[in-house]
Amino acid sequence: MMTTYIQVEFARHFRDGYNLVFALLLPAAMYILFGNIPSYGQSELGGGNVKFYLMISMAAYGAAVSTVSIAGTVATETMQGWGRQIALTRMSPTTFVASKMIVAATVAAISAAVVFVLGAATGAVVLDSWIWSVSYLITLLGAMIFACYGIGMGMILKSESALGLASGLMVFFAFFGNVFMPLEGVMLDAARFTPMFGYVALARYPMLADIPADEPMSSDPLWMIATNLVVWAMIFAVFAVLATRRAKARQ
Amino acid sequence: METIIGANAISLSAVEKTFTSGKSTVQAVRGINLQIEQGQIVALLGPNGAGKTTTIDMMLGLISPSSGSIRVLGNSPHQAISSGNVSAVLQTGGLLRDLTVRETIKVIAAMQECTERIDSVMERTSLNKIAKRKVGKCSGGEQQRIKFALALLPDPDVLILDEPTAGMDVMARREFWQTMQSEATAGRTIIFATHYLEEAQNFAQRTVLMSQGQIVADGATEELRHLISGRVVSASFTTESQADQARNFDDSVFITERQGLRYTFQCANSDQFTLALLQHFGARDIEISSPSLEDAFIQLTKVAS
Repeated sequence: MMTTYIQVEFARHFRDGYNLVFALLLPAAMYILFGNIPSYGQSELGGGNVKFYLMISMAAYGAAVSTVSIAGTVATETMQGWGRQIALTRMSPTTFVASKMIVAATVAAISAAVVFVLGAATGAVVLDSWIWSVSYLITLLGAMIFACYGIGMGMILKSESALGLASGLMVFFAFFGNVFMPLEGVMLDAARFTPMFGYVALARYPMLADIPADEPMSSDPLWMIATNLVVWAMIFAVFAVLATRRAKARQ
Repeated sequence: METIIGANAISLSAVEKTFTSGKSTVQAVRGINLQIEQGQIVALLGPNGAGKTTTIDMMLGLISPSSGSIRVLGNSPHQAISSGNVSAVLQTGGLLRDLTVRETIKVIAAMQECTERIDSVMERTSLNKIAKRKVGKCSGGEQQRIKFALALLPDPDVLILDEPTAGMDVMARREFWQTMQSEATAGRTIIFATHYLEEAQNFAQRTVLMSQGQIVADGATEELRHLISGRVVSASFTTESQADQARNFDDSVFITERQGLRYTFQCANSDQFTLALLQHFGARDIEISSPSLEDAFIQLTKVAS
């Protein structure tokens, strides 16, 4: 029963041009835009070049936003009566959420893959080739913590258009999470506490790990990155549970 | 079917439901006892806010009662749903606007594990013509038909419909009940909520009247029809004695309302009564109408108490 549902979900999301643009084309376009500025694109950075660094950044942003927008539909559809229709079938609500997560993960995987392929084609370089696959996997798995954020926002806002707000906030998180451009000084200190920081820092860790700590662009220690990631994953999980309870109580 | 014919399809005992939001509480259902045998076709009749939808939502396990117990085909509502023996047409929401009609049916059929029935159900509910249309572009009546098709997919023993004709025009309503007639096959229990007296009369063997969260009357629809088969006649008189004489016209006549010298009567034979009013009792400004659902309520609550 899951396969049919997943197939139809894909058909839906690919028909909806809006989702397609934000999940797949925007991150790719941003990579092309920022990654191909000739003055720094080819500069060496850690175990690779600046292009590789930007490729991870944009792939991470795309994967996270895709996850948020699809996970959010779990909430909005539940609140708009489709959840009631599903509650009348043999399929359990858990299977419904699981199907959506598979769709979200797949779209996130495609979104990140598009950026990675573009990167490979336009000169993103890393010395050790295993870093390609590890960075990609971290990008993909890390994006899943934003599923809870999407569900929580959907439960609070309830309408589909409001999911735009949830995705919009992701731009803000990305900017202050050191995703789009390297931050410095006080901004960077503050960024260490924002939700996308740990995620993108972990994805970049393999390429930046060998830069000595006192040099610019060096990675934060792994414990700091992991703490950010784990704490935010927990915050989002609790947020999703509380928002769901509140929404159901008011239903 | 493992269940015994004649056993209860649905059984509600002392069911209550109270909604709390903030400081205000609403008692939507105030103690309902209801046994529905297998194979019965039952109408839940009542005005908006009578507690029909809340009662149905509890039968389907969509919400839990505050107190009391509900059994569906001998199991909990939740078990009954997951066994695929019970399905429903819901009143609110329920469809995704950007799916096509066929996709919607396909998805739910997959969840119900009965994909082999897709074509026959779409045929029977005349959805083939609009199979490729987006749900959001379908009219209210067409959307109700989609929901009806979804409910038929698992070939349910118990079919529950919450105001299935809401939002339909007269033609669509007629067509819907025609389809419904052919789905009311032997042994299938059908429970539908409506606020159209006519729908209860035409389709249900038994009518349960609800008002303000309680059952105010419950009996064969035939009895209900009999009780309200008369007419309401209003007339103005010049003297009170004329009205008194009119009231004694025959046994079925009684006064339901009085405003000064304007009287409203309930009577069985309105033709004869009206003729007498004009010829013998000096009545003027005569109005004749069918009793409304409210009148039926008043009557039936009298009978029940």
